Amino acid sequence: MNALAGQSAVLFGFLAAVSGAGTTVAGLVRKRPALLRRGLAHVWVVLGAAVVAVVVMERALITNDFSLEYVAGNHSRATPLLYTVASLWGALEGSILLWSLILAGYLALMARRFRTRADDPLVGWATVTGLAVAVFFFGLMLGPANPFREVVGKIAADGAGPNPLLQNHPLMAFHPPVLYLGYVGFTIPFAFAIAALATGRLGEGWLIETRRWTLFAWAFLTAGIILGAWWSYEVLGWGGYWAWDPVENASFLPWLTGTAYLHSVMVQERRGMLRVWNLSLLIATFSLTILGTFLTRSGVLDSVHAFTESPIGPAILGFFAVVVAAGVGLIAWRGDRLRSPGAIDSPLSREGAFLANNLLFGAFAFVVLLGTVFPLLAEALNGERITVGRPYFDRMVTPVALTLLFLMAVAPALPWRKASGELLRTRLQWPAWAATAVVVACVASGLRGLGTLLAFGLGAFAAAAAVRQLVLSARRNGMRGLLGRANGGMVVHIGVVVVAVTFAASSAYGHRAEFRLSPGESASLAGHSVTYLGTRTVQYPSKRRVIADVKVDDGKVYQPSLSLFPNATQAIGTPSVRTTPAGDVYLTLIAAPRTPEAPAVLAVIVQPLVMWLWLGGALMVIGTFMAVVPGRRRRPTEPASAPAGEYRPTAPTPPRPDPEPVRMPEPVRDPVGVARPAEASGT
Amino acid sequence: MTEPTPGPEPAPVAESRPGGLDAATGTDGGGGSLRRWLPFLLLVPVVTIALFVGAGGDDAGPPTPARRAAGIAGEVRCPTCEGLSAAESEASASVAIRAEIRRRIDEGETDDEVRSFLVGRYGRDILLTPEGSGVAGLVWALPVAGFVLGAGLLVLTMRRRRDQPLRTASAEDRRLVEQAMGR
Repeated sequence: MNALAGQSAVLFGFLAAVSGAGTTVAGLVRKRPALLRRGLAHVWVVLGAAVVAVVVMERALITNDFSLEYVAGNHSRATPLLYTVASLWGALEGSILLWSLILAGYLALMARRFRTRADDPLVGWATVTGLAVAVFFFGLMLGPANPFREVVGKIAADGAGPNPLLQNHPLMAFHPPVLYLGYVGFTIPFAFAIAALATGRLGEGWLIETRRWTLFAWAFLTAGIILGAWWSYEVLGWGGYWAWDPVENASFLPWLTGTAYLHSVMVQERRGMLRVWNLSLLIATFSLTILGTFLTRSGVLDSVHAFTESPIGPAILGFFAVVVAAGVGLIAWRGDRLRSPGAIDSPLSREGAFLANNLLFGAFAFVVLLGTVFPLLAEALNGERITVGRPYFDRMVTPVALTLLFLMAVAPALPWRKASGELLRTRLQWPAWAATAVVVACVASGLRGLGTLLAFGLGAFAAAAAVRQLVLSARRNGMRGLLGRANGGMVVHIGVVVVAVTFAASSAYGHRAEFRLSPGESASLAGHSVTYLGTRTVQYPSKRRVIADVKVDDGKVYQPSLSLFPNATQAIGTPSVRTTPAGDVYLTLIAAPRTPEAPAVLAVIVQPLVMWLWLGGALMVIGTFMAVVPGRRRRPTEPASAPAGEYRPTAPTPPRPDPEPVRMPEPVRDPVGVARPAEASGT
Repeated sequence: MTEPTPGPEPAPVAESRPGGLDAATGTDGGGGSLRRWLPFLLLVPVVTIALFVGAGGDDAGPPTPARRAAGIAGEVRCPTCEGLSAAESEASASVAIRAEIRRRIDEGETDDEVRSFLVGRYGRDILLTPEGSGVAGLVWALPVAGFVLGAGLLVLTMRRRRDQPLRTASAEDRRLVEQAMGR
């Protein structure tokens, strides 16, 4: 019953997506607005189908319908409700279903947002692109990744239950959906980029239409990555949050290119340049979300040769190839119209800084991508097994990250077009003093390590530059001065600094030790003492848990534990963490004692600052939302606004990025804005 | 010099010629600008000295066997798990590797001897750091080459764009404009 309902819903969604895309293409080719409107309306049917499919799957999970392979493989009667609901995204088929639901939701939001403009070919092509992506994902569920496949033969009375690691922490219920909201969110800007290429309207129109969509997607992706790191820290028990493993890298790659895009897009909005580059970045971001899905879901990481065992790998890889080929082909086809009229006057300018930013983010993404796929390539090409691990990433990424921190300090101080030394001196003076003070204070208090000190100093430099801008802006415009892209962006920068400093500090100044302790015995590490009090065993419906009581610094008692799930051989450790703003004491039970009096083996990890990583991530997300809210709008009638003739209703000038009152009047009035051949011919 | 700029304001173009920067600061008067830059210049030696001190001697003295063992374990892959080093993992294979490393260090082996033992037993891919030569060397060289190439391209395009003479309208352009103006 559930299988039939689910499969029908998926089939219905697939057909609706195919028909919607077909109708829209017909409307575009024959220039019939009625068809365009009808094509866009199909999106709602797709959403309905996805909702029904998800509801059916959740119903099957909650009502223990073990006639479905997915339920039998990922759920058991003993699984608590939260993890039952979360089992939807616990394995491949369900996560494709969640992906489809989120995609349909985004497409429906797009349809709603652009409902009055359904006749516009730009919206039409974006609809076609979005629905084509939906066709692929619904098609996956019809074929290789069918979540509603029925069990062949006898139906078991109980299922295997989710992977023990996935039913160990409530964050599991939030991390994947948030991450997918980010991943899938890039589909909309991607669809508009393709639509811009298809219609030839390559001006700034499509960028501005999708600005907020991109920011939301980026915020969700950021939140998803940080939640994933947090989950890893709270659950996996090795005391870290980022291991540069392929699954993490897969989520980080689109973040890197997406971040590059968010910056370089400003150059295009302001100066009309970098059109090809921005389109390439968006297409790359979307392709990387697909490549990430391929890497994490096809089994290719276990062995290059494993992924052809199920048809899902080749299907996703094929889709990836189609996306890349379509993107590159369209850009090549439109090459002549993409040539931008502007030029960079001086490398020492805002646009010069954005270019440097893009070069660094490009290098960052390249290192992460290469490090992730290199072992696969080497094995596929000459059968050699190579491991590319953490030391590689640390060594390659550190210089890039430090340069980015430096750039974060200098770039916001640079005006568009050209900076004078005098201007930089006044704007960077106190950030530079702050940075020096921090470095001197750190060295004086005994902290060592060149890279770490540089991270602290450059972090202070960047944070001070951001705070300076926010203070100036707030002084001029009150609380509203904190909103808008430039100021929200500064809040994000502060969040990034917090994350970077935490990362540097916790990797450099962490301590780890293992102790074999009898009940009542104490040990100390890095100024903290831990006392092992004893263990007890608790029986849950879904697992058996051995809990150790450990007193930290003669205060509260913490309870690291080992859980034994009925269907797993190895015990799953659950760490217990004492979190303070200054640092964490992280406890894991490694070996439970055989008898109550016998010694237990505990691992103790002391790391500074860790909780600031989550707070920095939260700040990044909050800052992004502040950037989405429009800042102080200049009305065209307002005398302080640009001189008459400057105002362009199609492309409003973004809120002025620098609130400096004295230096502001730029001598240059963007001559590029006057003549933009591509823009003019398109609209 | 006649300026056939299309825009209504030719002034910015002249201002943005190379040399504009020097011209702008030059007019401030050499001595004055030096005095104003002084606070900045003072920071340079302060930061340099602080970083020099900070980068120098770690207070821990000569490495203890435990620290050496932890260092080597951090460079070695946990054979049975995904993405973790033997230092971080509690898998039994990692625990065994840690014990083996410690035993060999206590027996007086050097770090390199311990590493080559591990490579001999588990294969080259036990080490998390890829080799600097052979096929694996590419993973180090390609990003550097890519970065240099990208930076070079960027500088070249910027320079070419800047050195370009101001664009003049060709006959074709004029025809297009006339057409667009509707004659």
